[in-house]
Amino acid sequence: MALTTWALRKSLWVYHVNTGACNNCDIEVLALLTPRFDVERLGMILVGSPRHADVLAVTGVCTRQTMPRLQEVYMQTPKPCVVLAVGACANAQGIFTEAYHMGTAVDEAIKAVDPNAIVLYVPGCPPTPEAMIAAAAKGMEFLKTL
Amino acid sequence: MSVTQQSIDVPLMGFVGEVIERLGDVVIDVEQCEPRRGTARVDPAKTMEAAQRMHAMEGCRLATATGIEVRDGIDVLYHWAFEPAGVVITLKVLAARPELALDAVATVVPSANWIERELHDLLGATFPNHPDMRRLLLDDTWPEGLHPLRKSFDQIKDRPPLPPNQSPPDVETKAPGRDRS
Repeated sequence: MALTTWALRKSLWVYHVNTGACNNCDIEVLALLTPRFDVERLGMILVGSPRHADVLAVTGVCTRQTMPRLQEVYMQTPKPCVVLAVGACANAQGIFTEAYHMGTAVDEAIKAVDPNAIVLYVPGCPPTPEAMIAAAAKGMEFLKTL
Repeated sequence: MSVTQQSIDVPLMGFVGEVIERLGDVVIDVEQCEPRRGTARVDPAKTMEAAQRMHAMEGCRLATATGIEVRDGIDVLYHWAFEPAGVVITLKVLAARPELALDAVATVVPSANWIERELHDLLGATFPNHPDMRRLLLDDTWPEGLHPLRKSFDQIKDRPPLPPNQSPPDVETKAPGRDRS
């Protein structure tokens, strides 16, 4: 394990991308940062730019409008980068699968620009903060293997 | 109910009735007149006059406009809210087939600008004298002339191909405006 990967594991910085969510997942992401769940104890903080981030927390369906933007944000994130697909919509388009404005699922959109992308799925509508912590822990475990 | 029907069979009562009466000859049919809700059909040729008269009334604003595809064309419903009285009056205008064209209320009431652009995007009603008829909601790769909220549009079969993926990072992008060298 390289020094950078070791350091990265200790301080995952998160950039929150909303690709068209109903805000329910966003509320849960917010709850994740509050003292009750407090992911900052694990070194995770929200940052304001994808260029500073190690984790992209993507909430919401990936629409035709946001698909190229999400790919652009992903490409601007330094690698290695973990993508957290938060919620049913981000995982598999949720109830919007048959709507005219749909792009692809988040993982497909990301893997179209980087086939080796690390995508973690957090199921639920909305997912509980515990599920997101579990996903973050798995992401940290995965980064060990790099 | 036919559009050409001239008779006003709903009795005009109260505040809503007063407002509809003040609109005068632009109203061709009254469909609903209740204490806090009114619906009237307006002559498509006199849309702008109706909007002018409504806009001149005290306490009246254009809340929103909605559209629905019917047999004869697209019904555009302008919802006017009277905030102090708590009343909403809906003026229906039919954009008749095949042109589906209407006078733009946006020339009189600026707040109708975006909602008419949206009506054009999603339903295909056209507003020839609209001040700024650019695309509002649909993405840039969506083909012209395809309107997703039409009855004939199948949400799965008629969906156009997805926008192209962004080029991967190791490929140099040659898109206009992105070349900084």
